[in-house]
Amino acid sequence: MAESAAPSSSKMPSEAPTSSSATKSEGPDPNLAPSVIVLGMAGSGKTSFVQRLTAHLHAKKTPPYVVNLDPAVRKVPYPVNIDIRDTVKYKQVMTEYGLGPNGAILTSLNLFCTRFDQVIDLVRARSSTVPLTIIDTPGQIEAFTWSASGTIITEALASSHPTVVVYVCDSARATAPATFMSNMLYACSILYRTKLPFFVVFNKADIVRPTFAQRWMTDFERFDEALEDARGGYSNDLARSLSLVLDEFYGGLKTVICSALTGEGMDEVLTAIGECSQQYRDQYIPLYAEIRAKKAEEAARKLKEEKDSKADDLTRDVQALDIGTVRDSDDESE
Amino acid sequence: MKCLQLIIGPAGSGKSTFCSVMFNHFQSLRRPLEIVNLDPAAETFNYTPSVDIRDLISVDDVLEDEDIIMGPNGGLVFCMEYISQNMEWIRDQLTDGDDAYVIVDCPGQIELYSHLPIMKEIVTTFKSWDYNVCTLFMIDAHFVLEPEKLIAGALTALSSMVSLETSAVNVLTKMDQLSRENRKEVEDMLESDCSQLVDGVNDEPWNEKHAALTRAIATVLDDYSMFRMVALDNTDEESIEDLLLMIDTTIQYGEDAEVHDRIPEEVDPEEE
Repeated sequence: MAESAAPSSSKMPSEAPTSSSATKSEGPDPNLAPSVIVLGMAGSGKTSFVQRLTAHLHAKKTPPYVVNLDPAVRKVPYPVNIDIRDTVKYKQVMTEYGLGPNGAILTSLNLFCTRFDQVIDLVRARSSTVPLTIIDTPGQIEAFTWSASGTIITEALASSHPTVVVYVCDSARATAPATFMSNMLYACSILYRTKLPFFVVFNKADIVRPTFAQRWMTDFERFDEALEDARGGYSNDLARSLSLVLDEFYGGLKTVICSALTGEGMDEVLTAIGECSQQYRDQYIPLYAEIRAKKAEEAARKLKEEKDSKADDLTRDVQALDIGTVRDSDDESE
Repeated sequence: MKCLQLIIGPAGSGKSTFCSVMFNHFQSLRRPLEIVNLDPAAETFNYTPSVDIRDLISVDDVLEDEDIIMGPNGGLVFCMEYISQNMEWIRDQLTDGDDAYVIVDCPGQIELYSHLPIMKEIVTTFKSWDYNVCTLFMIDAHFVLEPEKLIAGALTALSSMVSLETSAVNVLTKMDQLSRENRKEVEDMLESDCSQLVDGVNDEPWNEKHAALTRAIATVLDDYSMFRMVALDNTDEESIEDLLLMIDTTIQYGEDAEVHDRIPEEVDPEEE
């Protein structure tokens, strides 16, 4: 269904160099420019963040390669190299399959997923000339984090070249301790889901200085107090224990304060991306090699098992036959 | 005692299917049940809602309105805000009797729970009407086939739970669609303690690096009986029954049950 459903007008941008053979069957290439997957809740300012980061890199004369994966966005305020909207028409998907806005986003992403190998080819082909590839994701975060296509896209990127996940957090909204905790738990769940190098960006620093967040993250007692104040003296046990868990999470977490509006903190973002891609090279490449080896082994084992069981079946069939009718052939005995 | 199940979870996790399963199950038990569809962007579902929020407002209305220019996201938030201000509209259509049992089919966007106060407000309103609320977080079992993924799922559920502040049961849906091997894996994972589970994970560098964090999470999940995860196979009556029993216990359904005699005139004309 998915394959045929891609609208007939679908075509990747015309600049597509035909290098598809280059990517096949080899492991991740650590020397390619890293891809940065930008995730965040709706309204956290993902798109503005991408816009600012792109502008920042343009100003440095090192323009990035930008991929937009949000089919429902009306206007993309930055120069985009690959746009899902060129391939899949969101409105058309909506009418053609009689889907609501949500279903249409998921379906569009699924459709695009069937062409994602082409995107990988394009990204790889460009990676020698760009400092990094930025990937903007759909507004609704779970369309990416809790969907098959999101997983496929993330894994496709991660198995091709250094891939980093950025979680954009809205500082203005995170001032409520419960919201902050929710956000951090979600961030933590992304860490576990993708298992990729990961950092958190506190966006909108121009509205609220996220220093409160940093205090909370370094001082567990402070956060507990805030939590208690917010609940009017009633702090539930679960929240309290979770804040202890998160304390552990913060320990290994890189955070950057930035503002997509003023451009504050963009250099720090780039540094964090650099560190994370180094992390990818150090930890993930050996890991992927191992996983690939394991997978290959597994596949070989399965194949062998299948063969064996088929052979068993055959023997059994043959034996069954032997009991019955066939007697006259010489080499049937085995 | 009025009971309410709040069905939440990511898009495509099987919320509406769950509602229709419950709908049928309640019918066969002859227990009264009212379903509220609270998703203004819902498409189709195969149960008959007692209250359909789309009669009040739908995302399409908002998106088609020339005066309001919004994407699907903004449209949804707009609708939900409108609903939270018009909760009486829902109440008017519910029987709202002492033994009312309501299932609310919610929209999937996590932002509504963890970012915005809207869902919290809606829950608070229901609570103020004396409903005992239990949140059911749906997770597609396909996405939790490894211990780490299960933890990710648990964390996602927790991120909604901490802001909603209700009791909760987490449901792994679509068990019937898993292959037999995977199914066994998931069932084994659910049976063992989380701590046991994470001890068993392989010694990949990633796991080693995050071992302390993983253990901390596992301890909390184990210590809090508040956090439960149940696998649901829609095709298996027993699985549905077990789940409902757990929900009923959580919600404290029937704890104040009294002897009812069956006199026909007590039957509410709205039902049946």
